[in-house]
Parts: sequence; C-alpha cells; structure tokens
Amino acid sequence: MTVQPAGGVAQRPTATGLADVIDSILDKGLVIDAYVRVSLVGIELLTIDARIVVASVDTYLRYAEAVNRLDLSESGGQGLPELMQNMKQGMVADKGKDAVEGVLESAADKLEGLVGGPEDDQERQPSRRRKDGG
Amino acid sequence: MVADMAASEAAERRKASGEGRKSEARVGTYVYGIVPADVEVSDDAGGGVGGPSAKVTVVRHDDIAALVSELRLDRPLGTPDDLMAHEGLLDATAAEVPVLPVRFGAVVTNPEAVVEELLAPYHDEFHAALDELEGRAEYVIKGRYVEQAVLTEIMEERPDLAELREQIKDQPEEATRDTRIQIGEIVDQAVNAKREADTQAALDAVTPVATLTSLRDPSHELDAVHLAVLVETARENELEQVVDKIGERWAGRVELRVLGPLAAYDFIVARGTGGG
Repeated sequence: MTVQPAGGVAQRPTATGLADVIDSILDKGLVIDAYVRVSLVGIELLTIDARIVVASVDTYLRYAEAVNRLDLSESGGQGLPELMQNMKQGMVADKGKDAVEGVLESAADKLEGLVGGPEDDQERQPSRRRKDGG
Repeated sequence: MVADMAASEAAERRKASGEGRKSEARVGTYVYGIVPADVEVSDDAGGGVGGPSAKVTVVRHDDIAALVSELRLDRPLGTPDDLMAHEGLLDATAAEVPVLPVRFGAVVTNPEAVVEELLAPYHDEFHAALDELEGRAEYVIKGRYVEQAVLTEIMEERPDLAELREQIKDQPEEATRDTRIQIGEIVDQAVNAKREADTQAALDAVTPVATLTSLRDPSHELDAVHLAVLVETARENELEQVVDKIGERWAGRVELRVLGPLAAYDFIVARGTGGG
C-alpha cells in the first residue's frame, strides 16, 4: 500500500504560499471577541481581499479572448484525450503554471502595496496577463 | 525605513521595560492558538507576528495553554510576514500536537488576561475540542483548471461557442464586445458546472479517509476543487494516494495540490453556533 503512483501529479509543496495562508487564517478559526471582552485590544488590520471569485464583465472578456486564442487543432478525428495529451506536452502546461503564479504574485504585490502606503492598489486587475501575439 | 524601525523598536523596548505597568497598552499579547499544557516552544521556532524579535511563549492554565507573543501596538497588523508567521507557527504546531487556531489578529492586554478571560473560563470547552483533534490534522486539497485544457473541453461540449468564436475572429475588440461577453458568460457557466461536478467527485473520493470534510469557497475563477479535510495523521498516506489517483485521472486538465498538515482552521466552529 505504500506504492508511490508514477507521475506525481499531486505535488506536495513544503511551504504554503501567501495566497494559501490568506485563505486559511483571515476568516477562519476561533474569534477571540467571542471569549475575551474586557481585555481585548483593538488593533487595525490591513484589509486584504485577494479573492476574485465573482464573475464580472472583465472575467467574461478574458474568457472570450482565451477562447479566441485557443488553437484547436482542426485535423479532425482527433479525440479529446489525444488532444489534451498533445496540449499537455506543448505549451499549455507552462501557461497554466504562469497563470497560477501570476495570481500568487499579485496577491503578494497587493499586500506589499498596502503595507507601503494607502495607495489604491485594490482595484488593480489581480491577474496580469501577457498579450501573446496571435 | 528598516533602520528607523529598528531604532524605534529598541527605544520602545527601553520604554516598555522602564515602565513597570503598561497601562498605556503600548504592548499587547498576540494570541495564536490553544494547545495542551504540556506543549513546549522549541528554541528554533522562528519569530512570531510582529517580527523576528517577537518570541513565542506558552501561557498555561491547568491542562491547556495558549501560544502567545508580545506585540507592539504602533502599527497595523497584516503584512505578508505577519500572516506567514501566524500560520507558520500554527501549522508547525498542528503537525505535532492538537491546536485550536485563533483567527488572525487577536490581541489582548497581557498574558494574565489570556488566563483570566480565555483559558480559565473556557477550560473544559477547549480541552474537549483539543481531545477531538488529538491525532488529527487538516489538509487542504486545491485544484486549478489548466485553462487551455478546460476551454477545449468546453468547446467540445458547446458547439454554439464555435459559431460565436467565428463571429469575433479577426474583428476589432470594440466591435464584438457583446458577442465576447456572451462567449464569456457561457464559458463561466460551464466552468462553474465543471467545478461543482469535480468538487463532488473529489469529495466522494476523500470522504472515506476523512474524519470531517468542509468545502471552501473558490479563491480563483479557474478553481476546480477547494476542499478542507480533517484526517488522522496516521492516514496521511491514504489521503495522498486518494488524491494522487484523482490527480492522475485529471492529468493535463487540473493541477492538484495537497497542503498540510495544517491547523484545523475549517473545523473550529465558533461559540454558540453548534459543535463540529
């Protein structure tokens, strides 16, 4: 039962990234106010909203652009599994990774921006996207 | 900036030690979490929230204790370092012993208040919760769609998209805005439906090895799965095998990760809202 599956698809990072941390500790866990009342010290918290879940027109336009760029190999007869296999070997895997890292980076950028000063960085589009020609 | 902070920190410490009573509350006690009383903080533990000088200590009462550190109150909390320090300590602790994580940003006046207002009055409640967590830890399963792969799937499933795509091909963006939005909405709905199905599949797969499960909100529009599970640490291998199996099935379309062991952030239910 200790056989390691080949491929190692599910990666096990040694440390969790900032984006992962934000998901865990800001709105989860024991709320101290529910217990301590007299000796509670109010302290200003930098507000962080790294979540980009609500679909917006920006999201739609981005999806449309991605669909537009999508290079479906029109050789015909090629089944979906094969197609995905090809894409995996090609540039797609890298692109996916870029997108993930872009979001992680931008979450960190945002935090640093807040720490540096009260610049209105919050409104910035969180996911930077390079405009690939073609 | 850094030099200034170091200097003022030193001045602050002199001031704090000069005044016996911190009645001005220039310094507070930051609370990370609640642990069994026999927990020790190892010397190689890094700095706490508030910088490397914030030494993490244990405040004990009877069978339970709180992990705390001194915190200067002259700046807002929430820098990346603060957040990482908070979770880093809790996760390192959770890998060894049960811990009830406190939400980020909990500060009380002094260690005595931690005992009098937190540990003593709720001793039995916390003790029971720690017992439940004994030998268990949280793991988070995160899956992110590989955009091109999931879009290809969606194109296959929705022939109407190909038609709409033809309409925007080689057209200026401004002229095709409505069509683009229409395409985007279809894609968004399709991604949401896939997320729901894939999350359910992941949930079904991990439930047999988990003590408890809890769905998390997606934190990205291309999230496929975002799931927290409470697992006996002795069964960590089983969890990994189950997740690897899903990962293999989804190879090329979902990038899957397991985070953990973590403190049980998703399984600590607030007072008064029922037990979990």
